[in-house]
Amino acid sequence: MVEAFAVASGKGGTGKTTSTLALGMALAESHDVTVVDADTGMANLLFHAGLSEAETTLHDVLSGDATVEESCYERFGMTVVPCGTSLDGFRDADPARLREVVAELAADTDVILLDSAAALSSRSAILPVVLADRVVVVLQPTIPSLSDGIKVQEYASSYGTGVAGLVFNKVRDDDAIGRIAEKSERYFDGPTLATVPASEAAREARRAGRPLLAHAPDSDAAAAFEDAAAAIDVRDGGSEAVADRFRSAVIPDPP
Amino acid sequence: MNLPDGRLLKSRVVSDPRYPLAEALDRNLTGYAVLEPQETLLLEGEGRGVVTFRDGVPDLTYATGTERGGPAALGDLAMPGPYHVELYELPDDAFDALDDAAAFRVPPGMPAERLAGDPALAASTRRAAPDARVDAGTGSGDASDGDSDGAESRAPEDRSAVEAFLDDEEKIEAIREQARREAEARAEEWGFD
Repeated sequence: MVEAFAVASGKGGTGKTTSTLALGMALAESHDVTVVDADTGMANLLFHAGLSEAETTLHDVLSGDATVEESCYERFGMTVVPCGTSLDGFRDADPARLREVVAELAADTDVILLDSAAALSSRSAILPVVLADRVVVVLQPTIPSLSDGIKVQEYASSYGTGVAGLVFNKVRDDDAIGRIAEKSERYFDGPTLATVPASEAAREARRAGRPLLAHAPDSDAAAAFEDAAAAIDVRDGGSEAVADRFRSAVIPDPP
Repeated sequence: MNLPDGRLLKSRVVSDPRYPLAEALDRNLTGYAVLEPQETLLLEGEGRGVVTFRDGVPDLTYATGTERGGPAALGDLAMPGPYHVELYELPDDAFDALDDAAAFRVPPGMPAERLAGDPALAASTRRAAPDARVDAGTGSGDASDGDSDGAESRAPEDRSAVEAFLDDEEKIEAIREQARREAEARAEEWGFD
C-alpha cells in the first residue's frame, strides 16, 4: 500500500521539516516510510537528518545525474531522500521529474512524506501538493500562519488532494489553542491531529542534526507528534495505481 | 487619523507585507506606508491600511475599511497578498500634531509579527526602537526579544485577534476564493499535465 502526504504550511518557520521527520519516525513504527525533501529551492531536511554530507541528493536525480536509489539513505528507521542546497543544483534540477521519482519510490514503500516548500509561488513549490494524496497542514496559532494554511488547503482541494489533518506546532500554554483549533477546524477538511508544544528540544535536535523523535523521544513535543501520526489513518492506494497516477499527475479541470 | 501628505519614496506591488516594514526599518524612515490588498473587498469597501513609522519603527496603524486603529487594525490588514504598497517620507516633526494618536498606537514589533508573521524582523524592529517605546510595550507582550522560532510570549489581545480573525467568516471565505482562483490560474499557467 502507498499513500503520499505533502507536509505543507504555506509559510516558513512553522517547523515543517521537524514535523515531517517526526511524523515519519512515528509512522515508521508501523509502516515502511520514505521521507523526501521536496523543497528543492530551499532544502533543509538534510541538516535535520544528519545528512549534510550526503554525496547524492534529489538534485542529482532531478538533473538526471543519479538514480533514485542512489539518493536514498536509510536513517532512523526510514528511507530518507535529502535534497541539496546549492544554487547550481537547483538550477539544473527539473522539478517535473519529481513525479517520476515519487512514482518509483511508491513501488517500494507504504508511506511517502513530501516535505514541501514554504511558498505557493512557483511550479516546483506547488508540485508536492499536486502529487500527494493528502496534505498535512502545519500551522502556528497566528493570523499569517492560519491564513496561509487556508490557502494551502484551497490549492490542495483545487488539485484533487485531500487534507489528512492539521498539526498546530510551537504552541505555548497561553495560546488558547483549544478555542483556536476548534474555530480553525470549521475551515479545514481535516481534523486537528495534534497540538505540539513549543519546545527547546526541537531546536536542540535541529542543532544536533537528528530528528526530534530520535533526539528527545521522551519530550512532550515528541509525544504530541506520536499522537498526530497515530491519528492519521493511512489508506491503501495500491502501489501500481499510485505510481501510475504520479506518472500522469493529471490535474482535474476546475469545476 | 489625518496624516500630512508625505513625499512618495516607493510605489510597488509586493507579495508580502513584510516588504514595507523591512524597507522602513532599513531606511530609518519617518513617514508612513499605505497598504492596499489586491482584494480590497476583504477590507469592506475602501480597504487600505496605514502604518506610520518613526525612525524606521512602526508607531500607529489604521484600517480605512473597518475604521479601526491600533492592534485591531493589524488584524484587519492581515491577509494574503499581493499588496500595493506606497512608502512616504515625512518631516521629523510631522507627527507632533497628532494628539489623538494613542488609540492608534501599536507596540514596535507587532506589525512584523501580525502582518508579516516574521518574528526575526519583529526582534530587529524592537532592537531599533527607543527604550521608552519598548518599555511601553511591556504588558502587551511585545517587549520580549523574540527569536526566529517564534517562541516569545504573546499578549492576550493577540490571542483574541487570532480568534477574531477565525470568527470573520466573510474574510476567510474571500481568502479561500482568492486562493482557489490562484490555484486554477497556476494549474493552467504551469501546465500540470
